[in-house]
Amino acid sequence: MNAPERSSAFLLDEDSGEQKCVYTADTKVTNAGTFRLNKEDHTVGNLFRMQLLRDPNVRFAGYYCPHPLVHFINLKIQTNNSTVAPVEVLGSAIEDLANETDHLITQFQESIETWKRENDTEMTSQF
Amino acid sequence: MPNQRFPKVQILHIAPHEIKFILSETDVSVANTLRRIMIAEVPTMAIDLVEFHANTTVLNDEYIAHRLGLIPIRYQPPESMKGEDCNGAFLPHRECVCYERCPRCSVEFELDVSFDEVNPLRAEEELMAPLTVSSQDLKTNNESVIPAHFLSQDEQDEAQDAGVAIVKMGPGQKLKLKAIARMGTAREHAKWSPVAVATYRFWPVITINEEQVATLTMEQKQELVDICPDRILEIDDLTGSIKAVENAWELSTYTEDIKFHQDSLKKRKEDDDFVRIEHSADKFIFTVESTGVMDADEIVMSSLRVLKDRLNHLAQEVENLKDM
Repeated sequence: MNAPERSSAFLLDEDSGEQKCVYTADTKVTNAGTFRLNKEDHTVGNLFRMQLLRDPNVRFAGYYCPHPLVHFINLKIQTNNSTVAPVEVLGSAIEDLANETDHLITQFQESIETWKRENDTEMTSQF
Repeated sequence: MPNQRFPKVQILHIAPHEIKFILSETDVSVANTLRRIMIAEVPTMAIDLVEFHANTTVLNDEYIAHRLGLIPIRYQPPESMKGEDCNGAFLPHRECVCYERCPRCSVEFELDVSFDEVNPLRAEEELMAPLTVSSQDLKTNNESVIPAHFLSQDEQDEAQDAGVAIVKMGPGQKLKLKAIARMGTAREHAKWSPVAVATYRFWPVITINEEQVATLTMEQKQELVDICPDRILEIDDLTGSIKAVENAWELSTYTEDIKFHQDSLKKRKEDDDFVRIEHSADKFIFTVESTGVMDADEIVMSSLRVLKDRLNHLAQEVENLKDM
């Protein structure tokens, strides 16, 4: 009866004006803020956190998913100095990851092709 | 872009239903993201709606609908679109503009089996025996979308049934239904998951402290080699020292037998370890097994495309925040 929609786990609720990404600056700490990423989970949460921590401009990066039944994560970022904003470091972290994924796609395409050529098997399935 | 990595990929084995590869020079977070996407976010087809016209079998409608949902539905792209997943060929039904459903967002399967009609056509010794309705009886309206009856030819040759069993029928029983398959992801329901297994293991880093090993007698070295149940060590015939066997990375299960046993071989408790086996932080051995809905290598490629789209979307959203 009161079960939430199956799609509420991955589709933005546009009727209630839900945004993919909402930024709230911290009121007490400078250069810090929280990103609320709606309909995201540990898949990208941990990916972003680890990538942010490799950035020397980042002093703190962490994320949490408040409860298994809510479908958003909070990503908290603090940068080292006021010249870089949390939005900028997150932007460049995502850009780096996108480039890394591009690199992985070409790597996979090449190595799968090479493997199939070397092993000379007809890989099409029987069905 | 100062923090970009350039991961390496080494394929170990590819079969239609399985792929094994080594991913290196990256982070656990990337490996885990890939694994999670392969399990839950690669789009596939699965039966989502069932209209029953007649059901006099022993199983009730809901039960049969559930069983139909779990049948792997394979999308085989036409020759011109090879390497595409079903994402290019179909729309998610929630995004489609059609009133109820259309060929752009769904595929229909008809199933009409009646025991009394099939029975006379069967072999003498099978007459009146229970009739198994299987995925083979599902008739599709789109030739590129068909149930994956078996994983491989070998499995089919060994099997007793024609395909995935749905229900067994006795005399007088009848089943007629229309099943509608839609595209979805396993975030909605596990029936859309393309993988049976998607795991990675850490590459083992085996370091041997030659200086310490030199203080051991030959018997003690042999003892250390024999204590490991994974058999990852051997005695180097040339130098008389211990070395890791060639395929140690395949065998190692990180048992702690060596770790505990070598303490008893040490002269002093605080001495360095002879052998250390540690998890590599940047090298992973992946195993991906398909359920039959896609070839395993396509699942990997598809997961990367999903990740790419996701990152591009989020990059755009973050870019919008900058303007505010």
